[in-house]
Amino acid sequence: MLINQFLLLGAALFALGVYGVLTRRNAVMVLLSVELMLAAVNINFVAFDRLIGDELAGGQIFALFIIAVAAAEVGIGLAIILLIFRNRRSANVDELDLLKL
Amino acid sequence: MDVGDWVSTPQNWVFLVIALPMLFAGFKVVQTSNVVHAVLYLVGTLGGSAALFILLGAEFVAWTVVLVYIGAVIVLFLFGIMITRAPLGFDVTLSHPVRIRVAAAVVAFVLFALVGGAMLAEFENQTIPEAADATRTVEIGLSIFDRFVIPFEVVSVVLLAALIGGIVLARRDPAEEEEAGVVR
Amino acid sequence: MNVDYHALAPEIILGITVLAVLVVDLLRIPKYWTAVIGLVGLFAAFVPVLTLGFCESLDFCTEPETAQRVLFGGSFVVDTFSLVLKGLFLGATAVALLLSVGYIEEDRYWQGEFYFLMLCSALGAVVLASSRDLVTLFVALELVTGPTFLMAGWRKGDPRSNEAALKYFIIGVLSAAILLFGMSLVYGYTGELTFGGIRAATAALGDSALLTIGVILTLLGFAFKVSAVPFHFWTPDTYQGAPIPVTAYLSVVSKTAGFVGLLTLSYQAFAELRDVWGPLLWILAALSMTVGNLIAVRQDDIVRLLGYSSIAQGGFILVPFGAAVAGNVTGDQLEQAFFATVTYLLIYAVMNMGAFAVVIAGANRLKSTLIADWGGLSSYAPGLAGLLALFFASLAGIPPIAGWFAKLVMFSSVLGVDSGWATALAVIAVLNSVVAFYYYAKVIKSAWFDQVPDTIPAAELRGMGRAVAPSLQFALVLTAVGVLVLGIFPNLIADVGDVAKTVAAGF
Repeated sequence: MLINQFLLLGAALFALGVYGVLTRRNAVMVLLSVELMLAAVNINFVAFDRLIGDELAGGQIFALFIIAVAAAEVGIGLAIILLIFRNRRSANVDELDLLKL
Repeated sequence: MDVGDWVSTPQNWVFLVIALPMLFAGFKVVQTSNVVHAVLYLVGTLGGSAALFILLGAEFVAWTVVLVYIGAVIVLFLFGIMITRAPLGFDVTLSHPVRIRVAAAVVAFVLFALVGGAMLAEFENQTIPEAADATRTVEIGLSIFDRFVIPFEVVSVVLLAALIGGIVLARRDPAEEEEAGVVR
Repeated sequence: MNVDYHALAPEIILGITVLAVLVVDLLRIPKYWTAVIGLVGLFAAFVPVLTLGFCESLDFCTEPETAQRVLFGGSFVVDTFSLVLKGLFLGATAVALLLSVGYIEEDRYWQGEFYFLMLCSALGAVVLASSRDLVTLFVALELVTGPTFLMAGWRKGDPRSNEAALKYFIIGVLSAAILLFGMSLVYGYTGELTFGGIRAATAALGDSALLTIGVILTLLGFAFKVSAVPFHFWTPDTYQGAPIPVTAYLSVVSKTAGFVGLLTLSYQAFAELRDVWGPLLWILAALSMTVGNLIAVRQDDIVRLLGYSSIAQGGFILVPFGAAVAGNVTGDQLEQAFFATVTYLLIYAVMNMGAFAVVIAGANRLKSTLIADWGGLSSYAPGLAGLLALFFASLAGIPPIAGWFAKLVMFSSVLGVDSGWATALAVIAVLNSVVAFYYYAKVIKSAWFDQVPDTIPAAELRGMGRAVAPSLQFALVLTAVGVLVLGIFPNLIADVGDVAKTVAAGF
């Protein structure tokens, strides 16, 4: 297996995630796109770990920590979104325009 | 490694069978106008990545993805969607209008081209070496509690903080309930 | 495995404090006890920082064989730089805690949990100061920022606070993803996670487009955290919407944590890649100073003004990084640049905390953060107006108050370098200092020389308004003394910054 096939897949998913963050209006959807980016990063790390033959398994361990942190962030994010929804009855990102330049 | 070698290795076909649906699912996550479908497509992508991890011989990570990411994070998302009463079914206002989408697509494509080009230039035809052992779970276990114990402890504090802070922000306050006239 | 517990003592004590705050919160005693426990814990955690720093002169302290304490395969290093920054983080958190006590109490906000989150974030910052590998750096950074997302939204009923939290959160996770992708590329190319390992690998393997992209993405992830332009757009809204003590905490601790990441990455991991991060940070510095200052000039809300001011100050702090643009920069000059950044960070922490303390005190009394409403403050609250003048003059860099030394060191670090670009950056910095002086002076002038607006109730003018909470008074005194002492005796900071140069050694 080529290393590049995994890396290109990771790069493609990351780019798709960036597209999602830029185009989505709903906060939950933006968060979903960021999760896609993190999944891409995980693929990168595990593939590199295998390529390098890291005795510490550093890449895989980093991937595990990323998963844990991502879970925490989703918890935080949904709590904030829930709070906003309760106050404003809507979770659309571009309806938030109270604070102007 | 040339095309003939590549085609004759069965693992590469398995890779294609996993990766192509993953890409499709990833695309649908950011493009579909149905909220619940987007979450389910992400499940597809994550499941595909778990399968790839097994293919790469990283079984512990694969099952962690399934248990934590798919099992917990996606469920959280679905709860979030239900509780925020997102319009279920197809909702075309989920994404910005076409002009912004085209600009975003250009940005994403340029990013992919840059990174992908750099990757191709760097690694060319390098293959992943055949592993001596099928899985590294023992090494991971030893490492986490030895070399990586500080990030391990710090991550546990992150989760605790997220838990407590999330509850405080998301809960209905008793005062609020009084105002809303909720009878307990 | 032998663990050097002395080196881990600050973190362990902070961890115990975090749990103690949670437990005390359960008891049926007044909530301010959680804040007291928090403060006690912060001071207790400061003690090992001192004993680690002055280890040679103490009997019971065993010196390590090497100059620094290296734990866990090089991922966690306790050297003088990390000790100095741990001290900064602990001190700034203590002040932020003092600022929050009065603020949070008055409105039935959830108090115990708030202090818990702030202490968790401080724990992350303290670990970050010692992290010397990619995993620990990332996880510690997440611990610093995770609780702050929640703290920003603490005013649950206030829609602006909600919005601040959401914007901050989205940008925060996005920047974490970009940072991680960059880190994955660096790891893939070098095969190493520790900064020392990465440096050795880049020296051996040479340049590559993939490595350049990885380095740029990693640094861009941190650029979001330090609000460098053009990644600053979350800062004004978040600073304005969040509760002011949280803003103070964000502007000092969170920003400094981002700078620590930039410092350790640039000077250790990417030490051989100066031609990548030098120009990148040059551009970020120039943009941040200019855009931050130009927009700050137009602000009429003091908190938003401080937000843009902190973006501009962040640009000033980035300036010494620009010294690396020169192709022939010497090791000494890089050490000097490192020293300049650390010194500015220390002084900035004290100044900014003080400025926010004054703003909180003023906002409590006047119920408004508009500069126009602060007119004529000196006539009915001369102490407050005096402190306002003190801190804003310090931010502007007027001697003999602290800011001038920071600016001086910053200029000298770039002017000594033999490169047209570096000199250009110094010129931009000078011009920006002049522009910044204008809006800091505008606020001082409004407080001292303007008429009192009609919107202020007469009771305020007669001094019968709400008194400043004792914790707030203490914080004001602390920061004011700090700002004056550091301004008149800059050699104190110079000595501290000097020892911090150990990280940049080895060029």
